[in-house]
Amino acid sequence: MNVIELNNLTKTYGKARGISNISFTVEEGEIFGFIGPNGAGKSTTIRTMLSLIYPTSGSATIFGKDSVKFAPEIKKEIGYLPSEVFYYDNMKVKDLLKYSGSFYKKDCSQRIKQLAELLDLDLNKKIDDLSFGNKKKVGIVQGLLHEPKLIILDEPTSGLDPLMQQKFFDLLKEENKKGTTILFSSHILSEVQKMCDRVAIIKEGELVKVEKISTLKENNHKRFKLETKAPMPQGFLQIAGVQNLEIDGLHVSFLYSGNINLMLQKLAQLELLNLWIEEPDLEEIFMHYYEKGN
Amino acid sequence: MNLFWREMKANRKSLIIWGIGLLFMVVAGMAKYEGYSSSGQSINELISQMPKSLQAIIGTGDLDLSTAIGFYGMLFYYLLLMAAIHALMLGANIIAKEERDKTAEFLMAKPISRTRIISSKLLAALVNVVIFNLVTLVLSLAMVSHYQQTGEQLDDIYLLMAGMFLVQLIFLAVGAVIAAVGKRPKRAAALGTVLLLLTYLLSIAVDLNEKIEWLQYVTPFKYFEAKRVLADGTLETTFVAITIVVVTILIAITYHFYQKRDLQI
Repeated sequence: MNVIELNNLTKTYGKARGISNISFTVEEGEIFGFIGPNGAGKSTTIRTMLSLIYPTSGSATIFGKDSVKFAPEIKKEIGYLPSEVFYYDNMKVKDLLKYSGSFYKKDCSQRIKQLAELLDLDLNKKIDDLSFGNKKKVGIVQGLLHEPKLIILDEPTSGLDPLMQQKFFDLLKEENKKGTTILFSSHILSEVQKMCDRVAIIKEGELVKVEKISTLKENNHKRFKLETKAPMPQGFLQIAGVQNLEIDGLHVSFLYSGNINLMLQKLAQLELLNLWIEEPDLEEIFMHYYEKGN
Repeated sequence: MNLFWREMKANRKSLIIWGIGLLFMVVAGMAKYEGYSSSGQSINELISQMPKSLQAIIGTGDLDLSTAIGFYGMLFYYLLLMAAIHALMLGANIIAKEERDKTAEFLMAKPISRTRIISSKLLAALVNVVIFNLVTLVLSLAMVSHYQQTGEQLDDIYLLMAGMFLVQLIFLAVGAVIAAVGKRPKRAAALGTVLLLLTYLLSIAVDLNEKIEWLQYVTPFKYFEAKRVLADGTLETTFVAITIVVVTILIAITYHFYQKRDLQI
């Protein structure tokens, strides 16, 4: 079953910002990455899905129901962590979470305690007095306390220290094992790479590609780094499949997609001091998508 | 109901402060009456020597200021203005605050429809306005009966409070509609206050210039003013009808637009 289905979702405001014709589906039980630079339209897409703003055209369907028509019903099973967390300042953490839980028809107090303990969050403090990272934790607990079937996270890790990030990721993976679907929006590739099964890449309000993380990485791209004994002859590597060639004296690095054997035969002609062949970062692969558009 | 109680709690402090303001206003205002009435000088005479414009501004009109209830009628102008400001700010802020404080993203991700949100908030605002009105009523009854000479009717105070309640409803709805329709919720309260002051000034202008008497229909401050209510002994049906129609329309617009528009986040 598809938990999220976006059909040509378009939202324009004024001229500058907005999204156009975003379509993708997220299956049940998936951890789906949503990645793009700041201002690409990730938050706009999410806010449209949650009907905080309404689509100009196209539609979003969640749990098989139209996101505008059935908004309150759908939201019973959604947990949302906004990119910036703002709460009613004069409330205590405990009161805010209780208030948050009161919207759902179940008892969330056990779960609140459990999550707060896990994330090391003091329930008796005033929200106003919390640091940015701790406010984010309140947001996480607030988003998970009703054990939703779909968790939507918008830049969830900003403000969390690495240790807490790890705890948070573990928590998400645990939820995912129970069958929870997760939409994970981020501009940080490494965390998406770590967490997600598939990823949608968005740029300037348009969807660039939806791809499996594994396929993206496979795509036969390898990063070659070598150190030669003598400077490499000019034009030696001018063959198909070589990209991003950088020559710095005796150090050479490039991305290669194609038949590995051919490349190795070619390199065998050189006298090498050292050779590394690595999986490229997603970052490098993504840069291609962004550059292609320009 | 959770949202209703949240709003009641959030507005508690402000309501208490307004209550203290009312207490001060009514007690200090009526204490002045004692000063005038015991000085032996006829206050009616004193006021009648003032220029007409000044009379209009302090709101005396044809009130008999030598009686406690008549003097209270003058005080009522200011109570009415306070009530209007309270209702307007409340109506505007209760709707606009989720966007202003950026808590809209929290609230709107919850399984609650926008219609429910408006209903809960308006209900909370209504209860606040009623409390404001009752506090004014109790203080007024206490102070006027304290200073009254025998034979004065206190029933008129109930009538004045009923009129004040209707004016409160109008301004509550005006505040709500500005916040619900406007593209800039942050400015809703400010915009509403400007509108309120304009209608207040207009009500004074109508007192000064009979040629523009028809404008009394535009400013709620004229609908149930003390001199009219005390003289007639009743609220004028026309104005009651106007109030009901206007409030109904404004509330309908509030629901409609808040349902349809994008939230500002």
